Amino acid sequence: MDERLILVVEDDATLRELLSYRLETHCTVVTAVDGVDALEKIEARRPDLIVSDVMMPRMDGFTLLDELQKQKDTRAIPFIFLTARTDEDARLTGMRLGVDDFITKPFDMKQLVSRTKRLLERVEVFSNRLDTQLGHDFSQRLMPTTLPKVSSYELFVRYEPSQQGGGDLLDWHQLDDGRYFVAIGDVMGKGLQAKFYAYSFLSYVRASLRARLTDTPRPADMMAHINTLLLSDQVLTDTFASFLLLVWNPDAHTITFANAGHCRPLLVDADAAHLVTDSDLILGLTDEATFEQHTLELEPNTAFVAYTDGLLEQPTADGDTLGEDGIRRLAQNAFSAHLPADALWEAALDASPASTYNDDTLIFWLTRTADPSTAFTHVSAPTDAEA
Amino acid sequence: MSFSTQSVSDDTLVVHVGETLDFRNADTFKETVHPPIDAGKHQFILDFSDTDVLDSSGLGAIFSLYRRVAAHDGTVVFANTSEPVRVVVELTRTYKVFPQYDSVEAAQAELT
Repeated sequence: MDERLILVVEDDATLRELLSYRLETHCTVVTAVDGVDALEKIEARRPDLIVSDVMMPRMDGFTLLDELQKQKDTRAIPFIFLTARTDEDARLTGMRLGVDDFITKPFDMKQLVSRTKRLLERVEVFSNRLDTQLGHDFSQRLMPTTLPKVSSYELFVRYEPSQQGGGDLLDWHQLDDGRYFVAIGDVMGKGLQAKFYAYSFLSYVRASLRARLTDTPRPADMMAHINTLLLSDQVLTDTFASFLLLVWNPDAHTITFANAGHCRPLLVDADAAHLVTDSDLILGLTDEATFEQHTLELEPNTAFVAYTDGLLEQPTADGDTLGEDGIRRLAQNAFSAHLPADALWEAALDASPASTYNDDTLIFWLTRTADPSTAFTHVSAPTDAEA
Repeated sequence: MSFSTQSVSDDTLVVHVGETLDFRNADTFKETVHPPIDAGKHQFILDFSDTDVLDSSGLGAIFSLYRRVAAHDGTVVFANTSEPVRVVVELTRTYKVFPQYDSVEAAQAELT
């Protein structure tokens, strides 16, 4: 964990030592003897909080605060002034300059420690909330809100972005001839960065698809395109992604797919759950990778189930991870459920000692029924930022 | 969580991955292995004998190493691949890129 850094600016050596000593119990402390020294220290390493005296040689506290306010990257650093109790003018000047708090001298050390703590906590809560909000906004754009309703088919999606955040994505598009192109992916990494890359990525896949709509989109060719993009694009250096791209033909009841290092999907019926094992290398690693596509037929009362590694890597009670065998077993059990994607998602969480998933989770569950009059879809995804 | 490394020849570095390579220390791994590349190390032997946890961020850090050494015609090989590592490698089909050896010595013999 990275420790919070406090900068103490004080020209009185005894007081400086004392402040440093007391604040060191919950933070890392650096000290400066005046405003000029402080600016150098801030330049070297940006502190999370500044506690500064007002009257100092060379550069006083007001000038220091004013200097920091001029710069975009230092403007937001919380700033506490140490002032004499009687100095009303200093308080007014400080407030005009945008100081966050005052501590009056002679001061109570306990009060100083608790105020610095509170201010640091407030900054942290605010920045976490901002991250969560941004992550949520990206997550919303990485998932569809509706699914295609197709005769003889039931389609279920369960999506849950995690607190730390991953880069799971899902997209579908109807082609002119009634077939559907579906992209399921996971951009490696955690947090906002992964979400951001996943989002730029999805935009690329969508644009690519639109450009090729007149042709027949071939999942294997699309995969090669994305791989080349990842390897040649400067911004996307060090971005890796697993993808499962498929063309679903509901009239012929076929799925033509290419799998680039993505979790291997399942074919599930009332009796068994089989892994669909054909897959190739993950995207973004080497330009020597080649991609193949395969076609499978969906029999009546059979489901094609795809998922992301948040599910696969979820720890189980025995200290292992759920893994492919675990998912096969749980998917088999979920087959007869009213909402099988939700049933699988909940069963995998029940099997885990953890109360939440560690990563984004996504389940795409497509069942071909025996009844052509069926056409049902259901998406379970958080819709509310506070959820 | 830092990583111990061992230079075994002019261009070969052994990295002992330790118990965990995941989102918590993936950046430390990158900071450990990237500078030696500029110093001429283009063959990396990753020793996974103690590794219990390898997640997608950790794998990403290894991929990033691979991308860099591949630019110098270098290689990244795995030694003492533990079960959790084997599972991840299998799932991502990356055994096609990272040759696997039973020991650091066996990997070394192959690289020289």
